Amino acid sequence: MTDRCLSSLALEAVLLEPQSAPGAVHARGCEKCRTRLLQMEREGEEFRRFVYPATLAAVEKPARWSSWALIFAPAAALAAVALVMIAVRPPRPAEDYVGSKGAALKLSVYSGGAERAHQVSDREEVRADAALRFRVQASSPCQLWVVSIDETGQVSRLFPASGATGAPVQGLVTLPGGVALDGHPGPERVYAVCTAKELSMLRIENAVRGTVNAGPGVGMVKVRTAGALEGLPGGSSQATLLLEKK
Amino acid sequence: MQQGVVVGQLYQRYGPVVYRRCLALLRQREAAQDATQEIFRKLLRHEESFLNSEAVLPWIYRVATNHCLNERRNARKRSEDDLPDELPLRDDAPPDLLPDRQLAQRVLERFDQETQAIAVGVFVDGMEHEEVAAALGISGRTVSRKLQRFVANARKFLLRSAS
Repeated sequence: MTDRCLSSLALEAVLLEPQSAPGAVHARGCEKCRTRLLQMEREGEEFRRFVYPATLAAVEKPARWSSWALIFAPAAALAAVALVMIAVRPPRPAEDYVGSKGAALKLSVYSGGAERAHQVSDREEVRADAALRFRVQASSPCQLWVVSIDETGQVSRLFPASGATGAPVQGLVTLPGGVALDGHPGPERVYAVCTAKELSMLRIENAVRGTVNAGPGVGMVKVRTAGALEGLPGGSSQATLLLEKK
Repeated sequence: MQQGVVVGQLYQRYGPVVYRRCLALLRQREAAQDATQEIFRKLLRHEESFLNSEAVLPWIYRVATNHCLNERRNARKRSEDDLPDELPLRDDAPPDLLPDRQLAQRVLERFDQETQAIAVGVFVDGMEHEEVAAALGISGRTVSRKLQRFVANARKFLLRSAS
């Protein structure tokens, strides 16, 4: 083993087999390689949280056209098969769905793999690393954000995955892409917020943290008991759903 | 192979490898996501190759590299500007390679795909010649010969461009 830093391929081997890869010893003692590994791990996490759930159905598609693929196809494709889908699985919110009064915005969450897509109810237990997809119904055109908060106070941006403002939506929309939960057991509350005017992620994040922190109890209790977000501009609509990660 | 669960497991384990490769070569997240999906579907057509644990990583590297270099070339043909021109050169390569690395970046897409993959392996990924040879499934002599020809032709091309 020379002192030269590991190549990209050698670093990939270290990430796959941290103990036994040929470059593992060098990587542990080399600051540059460790820095690159950290960056690669961040990109891997990006894959796990965003790319994997958004593309799994398409990757599996040659093998089997499943109910997951039907439900989670991109919005344009979804429209094309809408009639088929309605016959197979009527798209409606769960019975214990939690949304804003007047239903200006409805949020539906789906979990599961290619074999079984499942609409998640409020407070339902899901796998801690479950892949999730979302569907919203907005009664008027608005800018949509979907975020979540866990018991540590970590606010995660779920949709849109990039951009400075929410994504424009109207009517019934299956959101493109998806997310995977972080694998840590505990409650995670999902908020969908739709605003008439563009709103930054920072404003949304502050509203979520402010509302949850103002609630009773600590940690998990706060997440479980949190209600409607406060501090949003007039005309905003919102919906929320609690997931219990197991 | 049991489809569904196994495909999902393979994708979870090796998908990040493909995605990082695509990010490195395409430099654009959406393009990398689309390419990752396409590449993995290609890989699954040869699912038995996943069983060879020693060869699986170089195989994925080779397929992903060729796919992404094709994407770059096709984007250029379509005159699309959304893929950044420049590839990130390794800053930890020996300093005496620096002029060649700069050449590589400027003229890469004027060469055939195998030569491109060799140049990317050496100048972008920081691989030794033997490592490039093993990853691409070619001989070390071919790597050296094509790399020499690449550097020489690249210099000629740049001289012609300058004049």
